Amino acid sequence: MSVLETRNIVKTYPGTIALNDVSVSFESGKVHALIGKNGSGKSTLVKIFSGAIEPTRGEVLIDGVRMKFSDPRDAFAKGIATVYQELSLVPGLTVAENILIGRLPMRGRFVDWKKTFAIAGELLKEMNVDIPPDEVVYNLSVWQCQMVEIVKAMSFRPKVLQLDEPTSALAQHEIQALFKMIRELKKKDVVIIYVTHRLHELWEIADTCTVLRDGRLIGTVPMQEATHKDIIKMMFGDVEIHTRPHDLKVEDEVVLEVKDLVRKDKFKNVSFQLKKGEILGIAGMLGSGRTELLKSIFGADPFDSGEIYINGQRIFSPSPVKMKKAGLAMTSEDRKREGLNQIASIKDNLCVASLDLIAKGPFIKKHKEDEFAQRQVNELNIKVSDVRDSVSSLSGGNQQKVVVGNWLNTNPKVIFFDEPSRGIDVKAKQQIFQIIWEQSRKGVSSIMVSSELEELLEVCHRILIMREGLIVGEIKPEEVKIEELYSLCMGGEKN
Amino acid sequence: MYGGRKELKTNELGLNTDKLNTNKLNRSKLNIKKITNKYMLEIILLAIVIIMTFTSRGFFTTANLLNILRNMSLQGVIAFGMTMVIIAGEIDLSIGSTVALSGVIIALTTGKLEKAGIMPMEQGVWIGILLAFISAGLFGLFNGFLLTKFKMPSFIITLAMLNVLYGLAAVLSKGFPVTTLPKWYDVFGAGQVFGVIPVPAIILLAVFAIVFVVMTYTKFGRSVYAVGGNPEAARLSGINVKFVKIVCLVVVQLCAALSGLLVSSQVMSGAFSFGRGWEMTAISSAIIGGASLSGGIGKVWGTLVGLIILGVINNSMTLLGVDEYVQYIVRGLLILIAVLINTIQTQKKD
Repeated sequence: MSVLETRNIVKTYPGTIALNDVSVSFESGKVHALIGKNGSGKSTLVKIFSGAIEPTRGEVLIDGVRMKFSDPRDAFAKGIATVYQELSLVPGLTVAENILIGRLPMRGRFVDWKKTFAIAGELLKEMNVDIPPDEVVYNLSVWQCQMVEIVKAMSFRPKVLQLDEPTSALAQHEIQALFKMIRELKKKDVVIIYVTHRLHELWEIADTCTVLRDGRLIGTVPMQEATHKDIIKMMFGDVEIHTRPHDLKVEDEVVLEVKDLVRKDKFKNVSFQLKKGEILGIAGMLGSGRTELLKSIFGADPFDSGEIYINGQRIFSPSPVKMKKAGLAMTSEDRKREGLNQIASIKDNLCVASLDLIAKGPFIKKHKEDEFAQRQVNELNIKVSDVRDSVSSLSGGNQQKVVVGNWLNTNPKVIFFDEPSRGIDVKAKQQIFQIIWEQSRKGVSSIMVSSELEELLEVCHRILIMREGLIVGEIKPEEVKIEELYSLCMGGEKN
Repeated sequence: MYGGRKELKTNELGLNTDKLNTNKLNRSKLNIKKITNKYMLEIILLAIVIIMTFTSRGFFTTANLLNILRNMSLQGVIAFGMTMVIIAGEIDLSIGSTVALSGVIIALTTGKLEKAGIMPMEQGVWIGILLAFISAGLFGLFNGFLLTKFKMPSFIITLAMLNVLYGLAAVLSKGFPVTTLPKWYDVFGAGQVFGVIPVPAIILLAVFAIVFVVMTYTKFGRSVYAVGGNPEAARLSGINVKFVKIVCLVVVQLCAALSGLLVSSQVMSGAFSFGRGWEMTAISSAIIGGASLSGGIGKVWGTLVGLIILGVINNSMTLLGVDEYVQYIVRGLLILIAVLINTIQTQKKD
């Protein structure tokens, strides 16, 4: 039997404490769930175990021996294997090669293929994984890759196996297959750390549950004794929710209506109405289909069936070009990859969506362009020294404002904010909320998606709950507590 | 999640303070450095011209300068279309074959029309020219279709088309130069305005001016930069990315057809061997002029300067009696150096 232990672990970053005096121990033969909301420190702890970061103070011990990891490779060599959400298999190679990569059996100077497939086949069989060793990884689905990763990790006979949100990209029956495998693993002498945000999985797979909140260890409970309510309470404690300004009005006019929208494997039968000036939240965990829904409505991704109406007018086969004309705007969750042209100037980025409005015929009107850029810099309070500077020189918060400003320049009627507060500091967050409220005052409606559910409670008039591609409920922020909302999103009962 | 975010923040802070410090320290040096950086190309060009003026007596003469202008015009008209394609984040390697094919199409059509008694060569050549431009446009559309519909890389599409069109030109012309062209046709390639200025040079400047205006002052030009800089961001900003890319690929093909017109006019025949390797000149002018092959960056003015630098260097090497094969080596190294400088500069910015 082996034990993974931390003693008084502290991890500080300039300005914040990510982990504060965490002492906890996990023994082998059990699945230990590690949970907490965003920013609770659970990812930091996983990274310390995997050797990706070093604790500021405190120590990690395996079987009572003090460990110090210089990097992930070192941690791996000392017995801690981590399987991340993003898989690291080489798609063009076979399962066997992937499992044995870097240590293929050789015969003289050449690879001994017979032996390679035999060893890999043996390892797969040992874990009860029904995947042929000569299958090319490219042909496998995500959950099968996940299993191959686990087989690969286990083949090193680690003392600790960390699984970082392994189910977030999987469908229900795939999850069951994975769980079966994890239960098998319990028979081996290995400490299994299981990070998840899907609360209902805990009772199915975990033996103990360790809860972190704001960098502190709240406690560890055995799953048989824990109720849903207990764990929610441990995760959230007492949170203070700010309320939105009182002068925000929702008018009766429906500006956007979606009827029975379906996209296979992403979301189904989504229907809702959005009224003028209304701020509608969509609450859901990662992988619930919320981003996919927004993208399909905006025409950036396809959908299979359903109807979209803007101001009562049905929009057929939407595209971003068409939806922009119809008065829709969307700020993407991924600022870097989908929101900004990083090599272009702040000014260019503020005027991309509104090229039609700053041009007369085919020609750009220089003074209009300057005026448009300057207007957003002033109104959104973007901190710039020169609008001709590269947008990449701005901080995250200011970059986010540029993304929003680009869309405000199109005078939209409806704006989709997908994770508008991701990667920006508290002050910038508040400023973004102010912007959303200000738009509501002007009669512009918004749909906001956020993983930080307390933000939705603070900003929105009404919140739709989305889970596994379905809208499963609708709430008013005044009527529910944050724990209830999380519980709804993570698939617990409302109690 | 938590750790990552915090790290990012310190990074941003670090970057900002860094910038402030250098600003304070280098304010006096900054201006000279900024100016030399900004006008590096022009300074290099000037340096070569000055050196050559003193080393070779024949260099700085009206006749030679006009000669440089004429020589680079034929290939140069393609460079501007290529700049648009490169800024859009794509490439067209097939243009050399389009040059050859256009010349062949013009001469063949003219000949066939006269032989069939439909039209004398004097007028028939116009139909040939029209046909050459239409087919070039269609090649561009075809490339763009494969690119946008099937997401094939433009590099591979146009590499294949380079061979297809080359073969097509050879088949159509049966391997021989086609000379059925009216006498007056040489005005495009060999004509002069006011008795001194070569017509191709005027056409080159016209193409430069049009592309310059489009890329600098129009909605479309802005979209090209946006598409090349981040196609997904451009698409989500409601820009028709496919349309922009297709147009750029059509424009570069039209430029190549124009080049084919000029070269067939200068030689008074259309042959499948024309234009071989001309994609090299077009691409290197753009790259020397500061365009980035990853898209989103590039200046039409820079391409013109890059083109002139290449022209002057070629001319200088000939004047200095440098072996023709050695010239290849020099031109190749020149591109490597230009790309190296570009890469180092962008890495510094990061």
